[in-house]
Amino acid sequence: MKTTDALYVYGVVPKGTSPDIFANVGAEVELVEGGELAAIASRVPLAEFGEEALEANLKDPAWLEQKVNEHNAILAACVGVTTVLPFRFAAVYRDDDQVRRMLSERPELVDTLARLEGAVELGVKALLDPEALRARLAHARGLDPEVGSGRAYMMWKQLERELDEEVRSFAASCAEASHERLAAAAVDACVNPAQHPTVAGGEMLLNGAYLVRSDGDGEFRAALRQLQARYADDGVTYELTGPWPPYNFVGEEEAA
Amino acid sequence: MRSSAGGGPAQLADVLERVLDKGIVIAGDIQVNLLDIELLTIRLRLLVASADKAREMGIDWWEGDPFLGRGQKNEELEDRLKRLERAAGIDGDSRSGEND
Repeated sequence: MKTTDALYVYGVVPKGTSPDIFANVGAEVELVEGGELAAIASRVPLAEFGEEALEANLKDPAWLEQKVNEHNAILAACVGVTTVLPFRFAAVYRDDDQVRRMLSERPELVDTLARLEGAVELGVKALLDPEALRARLAHARGLDPEVGSGRAYMMWKQLERELDEEVRSFAASCAEASHERLAAAAVDACVNPAQHPTVAGGEMLLNGAYLVRSDGDGEFRAALRQLQARYADDGVTYELTGPWPPYNFVGEEEAA
Repeated sequence: MRSSAGGGPAQLADVLERVLDKGIVIAGDIQVNLLDIELLTIRLRLLVASADKAREMGIDWWEGDPFLGRGQKNEELEDRLKRLERAAGIDGDSRSGEND
């Protein structure tokens, strides 16, 4: 290997995994084997991933977006084919020996692979249309949002405050009930911070990640359909994403 | 129920939060400051959310940004981040460790 190159490691798969699964990812990928494990890696120029270059490139959002998408695409190629442990962005090694050393120094990765065998991550985002919910709540009270006399206006303002409170309370209980229901149908589960409304396309009640058996996700999907039916009239929609590599379930401090 | 496979800002946000915030953290031979990555994550969330809003908040995006300047104490950065996250309505507690 040229000293102008380095190895970018995307993640780890079991030893013996065929490199053919990366045939269509649009990047040259190789597997560096060590012990029971194989690191998924690409040769990258130090001119791009060396310390100083990397620090500069990280400030370029277009560069970062492309590299982050590529990182995910390569790991995603493993989903449903073999178990994969995703590494966080930009784990870069000088050469194959350093990658093999890393693999030998992390025997717990073998256990994590065994734990996650046959499992994939599904994402569920629940979005609330607060106006739809407010309209329904107002209607349920038999109230007509017509602003007439001063007295009606005052009553309407009072109602607005009560509706605000009801929407907040509903959002919290819906998020909790949704996560509980989905977690019950999953092997493992975690809740991530809600995404910004502008990017989410609405008020995000829940941003959950769920570990499910890839050959038995019927129960999970059924649970999601139940939630959709139960909360549709309240202005809640659910978005399913994935299957993803188990990004949210490889952390050592995950237990909490 | 909608199901998304690719494209759009929501998809990018999903990928960013996973690739930059999650996954196994292993120190490679090339050391990048993890705090920088955390800052980037926050800023990318803002980027995909609303560049206009960020400008309103006085974040001068990638050029001449004091965030990545050297010599600032981590505590100051952390405090500043928390204030920005609150202002932006972003819960930054996914950054594990001291916030848990």
